[in-house]
Amino acid sequence: MITLKQYYRQSATYKILRGMLRQFGSFLDTLGKITRNGIETAKYIFHGQIRWNEVIEQCRRFGISSLPITLSIVSMTTIIVSSQVANEMVKQGGGSFVGMLLTILIVRELGVIMSGFAIISMIGSSLASEIATMRVTEQIDAIEVLKVNPIQYLFVPRVLSGIIMMPVVLIIASVVGVLAGAVSSNLASGLSYISYFDSMWLGIYMKDLFVSILKAVCFGGTIALISCSCGYYASGGAKGVGQATTKAVVWSFVAIVIWDMFFAIAFFF
Amino acid sequence: MAIEVKNLIKVYDERRVIDDVSFKVRDSETLAVVGFSGSGKSTILKLICGLVEQDSGDIIKSDGDIAMVFQYSALFDSLNVADNISFALHERRDLRKKYTEKQIRNIVAEKLEMVGLKGIENKFPSELSGGMQKRVSFARAIVTGPNSILYDEPTSGLDPISSTLIEDYIVRLKDETRAASIVVTHQMSTIERTADRVIMLYDGKIVFEGTPREMLAKNNEYTKQFVTASLEGPMHMLA
Ligand SMILES: Nc1ncnc2c1ncn2[C@@H]1O[C@H](COP(=O)(O)OP(=O)(O)OP(=O)(O)O)[C@@H](O)[C@H]1O
Ligand SMILES: [Mg+2]
Repeated sequence: MITLKQYYRQSATYKILRGMLRQFGSFLDTLGKITRNGIETAKYIFHGQIRWNEVIEQCRRFGISSLPITLSIVSMTTIIVSSQVANEMVKQGGGSFVGMLLTILIVRELGVIMSGFAIISMIGSSLASEIATMRVTEQIDAIEVLKVNPIQYLFVPRVLSGIIMMPVVLIIASVVGVLAGAVSSNLASGLSYISYFDSMWLGIYMKDLFVSILKAVCFGGTIALISCSCGYYASGGAKGVGQATTKAVVWSFVAIVIWDMFFAIAFFF
Repeated sequence: MAIEVKNLIKVYDERRVIDDVSFKVRDSETLAVVGFSGSGKSTILKLICGLVEQDSGDIIKSDGDIAMVFQYSALFDSLNVADNISFALHERRDLRKKYTEKQIRNIVAEKLEMVGLKGIENKFPSELSGGMQKRVSFARAIVTGPNSILYDEPTSGLDPISSTLIEDYIVRLKDETRAASIVVTHQMSTIERTADRVIMLYDGKIVFEGTPREMLAKNNEYTKQFVTASLEGPMHMLA
């Protein structure tokens, strides 16, 4: 005789529900840990406990490894978009607005979200695997035993470098993207450079530039924070390092899309 | 009392890895901890230095630094040997700015000479052999002049001469600094040369406590099996 409860425990519904509940629990757990690390990192930054040498080193690493891929992704996306729309717009007599359209697109959305994706894949994954490796080889334990705070030592310079460098990378990528749009519209549909650059400023306001930079600051800091956190709680050898890296990439992707939505609602609704 | 552990319990995955363990280590005393692989030796050290939280029980430590030499060295692989050894001097808030760069260089050179690795300051951990890494991690741990030192298998994987060097150094350091030391080890030579007392762990419990001499006397079924490395006896490999 099995009781109803036992029967229920063996059922697929119970197993699926339990699995989902576990997933949700671990989601909340991760969210809590990231938040806690973020608060602690911010505390150190506001108290000025910053090792600038290390920040500069991390910024250098950030710039060098993310610029090539960010530039190519942003300019290629611009080329794709411009080759789709420039032709039609010129045909319909709207050629003088191609520059405006592409600039709005790059400054408001494309530049920052594409840079974000490029930076997640280059910087986020490398931060996560670096810190996860330090965790599973007990290097973080060693830092703690030597009475150095690992958040201050590892997180602060990396998060700061994200906050500082992502706007820089974004500005360079946007400029290059706008130029790439000019060249490709010119080649694809014979649009003159003069009419492209003349219309460029029509749709762009200070607010757009400001919001875009602010987004880059938030994205950069968030990517670095999430990636460091995912690495920080890694466990279980080489496999754990891989899992932490995957988690960092997924969480960062979702986080910047959420940020982006937040900005869209807050500034452009 | 430098380190006192009372009724310590640590549970991992519903198993008591440390099961009601109590012991004391006085200043300038060295306690050896022996036992099978997986018997909870590293866990005890991590509990004492605060890396892991106990589920119940007390750990009482006197003030001052506690140092740990990790089982697998745990050197920072992005830093060279000199920066590894001087890590605490550069990064710890209360020690930063206490020494000039020149003094730090001298301290590093002195510690390296002590562990028999003069002049490798600029090498990176990946360029060193396992035994050399172990000795560097030894130098890194003691650079702040700790008053308790935990060694997790300090001599395993070392050749007999390097082992002797480390063992002598454990003893010398204890005599000089009056530090309380705990040495986790499998090696009889390390027990005989360094330890004042020995405890033996099996399945999370203490199954023997005494001097190295008493351990060798083979009056206890557990130590007898350990010393003779026999498969016959009360202990079995845990799954
Ligand atoms: N973080 C952890 N999570 C789950 N179980 C763990 C963890 N750390 C240790 N254990 C378990 O605790 C037990 C004791 O591990 P510990 O590392 O203390 O053994 P040890 O005596 O140091 O062994 P060895 O001589 O091989 O180093 C093992 O069974 C191990 O599986
Ligand atoms: Mg161990």
